[in-house]
Amino acid sequence: MTTSATTSPALPPEAMLPRPFRVVARREETADTVTLDLKAEDGDSLQFTPGQFTMLYVFGIGEVPLSISGDPGSPDTLMHTVRAVGAVTEAIAALDEGDRVGIRGPYGTGWPMEETEGRDVVVAAGGIGLAPVRPVLLALLAARSRFGAVSLIYGSRTPLDLLYLEELHTWRSRFDVEIEVTVDRADAGWLGDVGVVTSLLPRIAFDPKNTVAVVCGPEIMMKVVAAEMASRGVGGGSIYVSMERNMKCAIGFCGHCQFGPEFICRDGPVFPYERVADRLRVHAL
Amino acid sequence: MSLQSLRESSELLARLTNTELELFESLSWEIEAKADEILFDEGEPADTFYVVIEGRVALEITSPGKSPMIIQTLGPGDLVGLSWLLPPHRWNWRARVTDDSRLIAFDAVEVRRQCNENRDLALEVYQVVADEVASRLHSTRIRLLDLYSRP
Repeated sequence: MTTSATTSPALPPEAMLPRPFRVVARREETADTVTLDLKAEDGDSLQFTPGQFTMLYVFGIGEVPLSISGDPGSPDTLMHTVRAVGAVTEAIAALDEGDRVGIRGPYGTGWPMEETEGRDVVVAAGGIGLAPVRPVLLALLAARSRFGAVSLIYGSRTPLDLLYLEELHTWRSRFDVEIEVTVDRADAGWLGDVGVVTSLLPRIAFDPKNTVAVVCGPEIMMKVVAAEMASRGVGGGSIYVSMERNMKCAIGFCGHCQFGPEFICRDGPVFPYERVADRLRVHAL
Repeated sequence: MSLQSLRESSELLARLTNTELELFESLSWEIEAKADEILFDEGEPADTFYVVIEGRVALEITSPGKSPMIIQTLGPGDLVGLSWLLPPHRWNWRARVTDDSRLIAFDAVEVRRQCNENRDLALEVYQVVADEVASRLHSTRIRLLDLYSRP
């Protein structure tokens, strides 16, 4: 049987060669998550589509795939938000201004920005999943008049785990975008919502028949959001998820991220939900 | 504000028939509550329940010497209070208004009495509340997974 996973094109020789970048700014988002701004040493920009990722190499330690969380309209600065959960990401989180890293990419498919034109857009993010959809929001807000209703529903573990707090406040102060935030747990000092992210859906305005949903977070969260969006009449082909699992080489070569007939790094990480929904129910996949 | 006008914004009220809605209208009244006002407290008789028109209500649990923990918040269209329907008709949680709010209050004692006399009404009311319970159980289970914790 021939599948897309067995038909990789020949690799260009520079496919595995990282470009040197320097950290130019570092911000602590939460106790274990930092945002880094990086600039290429050669001065060239890194053009990307929202939803794409790069491979970030900490010399001598290792390389990891990271979604780009920067502004697609400002490609001179590459922005990554990283949660320290393993040896490489802990090393990335410990980087400081002036430190040097290697970057490959950008890689992968992006969010369907052209498909969103003229339609309502619901962006649903959970936890660190806000980072990969931040470029979508920035692109939507930069050309706001080209879209219908735009809204973000964002779920986090606690108020202390919320990313991009200042930006969330700024977006909330606009009259042309709905921002709803909830957390899983909080004490009485929290003045916002407590509950699962789907509880925010009845609060936002969208026309289910003319909506594109952009969903990013843990797989179970994406399944739950997609099911709820579908129950409200949004077609499975208009719901997009980002499957960021097991990516290793980023070029469809190593097979590490094979997901049924596709490689996530090459054929994704963004997929229409209806294309992967059945696979998300397969225990061993 | 009439229940009829709230119907579009409340999935809960949208389920009721016109006849049921008229009955509930006669058993309800609108209230305004300031932030930090307590609608009901743990252990109290569950004789009034609410639907939020605007604002937000937090369901909380308190423990001596500790900050109250918020179990869940409820917003426009949401039902505040489930224990009024089932014995022993006492609240399990505290309901605190977190933003200045407007709510519809319902006479739970009278709704229970009407349900005892009218089995068709009781079936519809139990179905609406059972749906709400199932939805909250589903959400609670998802939150129990602690999906956003460190992998």
